[in-house]
Amino acid sequence: MITQQEEYSLIDKILAGDRQQYGILVDGYKSYAFTIAFKILGNRPEAEEAAQDAFIKAFQYLKTFNRTAKFSTWLYRIVFNTAISYKRKSKPAFQSIENTIVEYSGKADKQMESDDKQHYVSKAMESLNEADRLAIQLFYIKEFSLEEVAETMGQNMNTLKVRIHRARLRLADELKKLLKEEALTL
Amino acid sequence: MKKLSLEKEEQLLRYLDGELDAQTSQSLEAEIQTSELLSTRLEELRIVQSVLVQKARLETPSKNFTLKVMGGLDAKPVTSTFTPRKGLLLFIGSIIASGIALALLSAGVFDAPVAPLVLDSPLKTDWLKVPSVSIPFNGKFLVNGILILNLALAFVVLDRTVLKPIFQRRLSSGI
Repeated sequence: MITQQEEYSLIDKILAGDRQQYGILVDGYKSYAFTIAFKILGNRPEAEEAAQDAFIKAFQYLKTFNRTAKFSTWLYRIVFNTAISYKRKSKPAFQSIENTIVEYSGKADKQMESDDKQHYVSKAMESLNEADRLAIQLFYIKEFSLEEVAETMGQNMNTLKVRIHRARLRLADELKKLLKEEALTL
Repeated sequence: MKKLSLEKEEQLLRYLDGELDAQTSQSLEAEIQTSELLSTRLEELRIVQSVLVQKARLETPSKNFTLKVMGGLDAKPVTSTFTPRKGLLLFIGSIIASGIALALLSAGVFDAPVAPLVLDSPLKTDWLKVPSVSIPFNGKFLVNGILILNLALAFVVLDRTVLKPIFQRRLSSGI
């Protein structure tokens, strides 16, 4: 991971005309940017396009980055806005194979149990609104701090924390409901 | 069925996140031992937590991601020529123009009878007889039409350049 000082020095070099240095920043943050876009858009090709677009925008507006915040949070905000505008423009997204829950047969009980839990929690996630779903997904990725998630989503940290708590409670309620329905159909 | 208070549920979440101090944790654990409601809820929250942690990981983009970004650095930034400020100025300008037109209309400037437009053909000679075309012209009717169009255009400008960006920003903050 690049330190903030190294980042600023890279930005100085890029602004001075050494654009190849931008590749180091892209390499350092591509997974983070892609993850945010993917969580918003739900399909890989579109998320990749949005994340690339966001990096290009960040390069073009790099001179406006005023260094009061971390470069990462500034970049994530651009990724977030770009992905949101992609989502508005795009037709209902198809479900990517990575997001599809595939049910296998003949596996160990423990694995089956874990897959069942995943299946029901994924189903319960559908009951959340988009903002809650995104907040909770990003919050659990250990590479993102709560502060980063809040700044990326343009929200106050306390508001975001409350949002995540309520979403977790809602998920637990929904899970209970789903399991009850499942038990009734058996 | 009895339900836990929101405060108790929040406490369970903080317990799961390891945010409670040792003393509060211990007293909550003692409560959980004796309350089925609390232990069931904790188990439900624990399942949600464990699945969310399992699913949480950074995604990896394609191998040529950086190459594509570096290749696109010269792309022109997509910027709207109509900033909200320009849009607002255009809207105010249209409203002022409409106001002037309306004032002139109500002052009766366009009420005076105007002679019909006569279109004479330049090819008209003694040998070529082309009839003159006469179009009745009503200034008031024309100004009314322009006024309506101008107002419609002003509201479209207001919507696209000022209102839409505001609502989009508001939407993206709560998604």
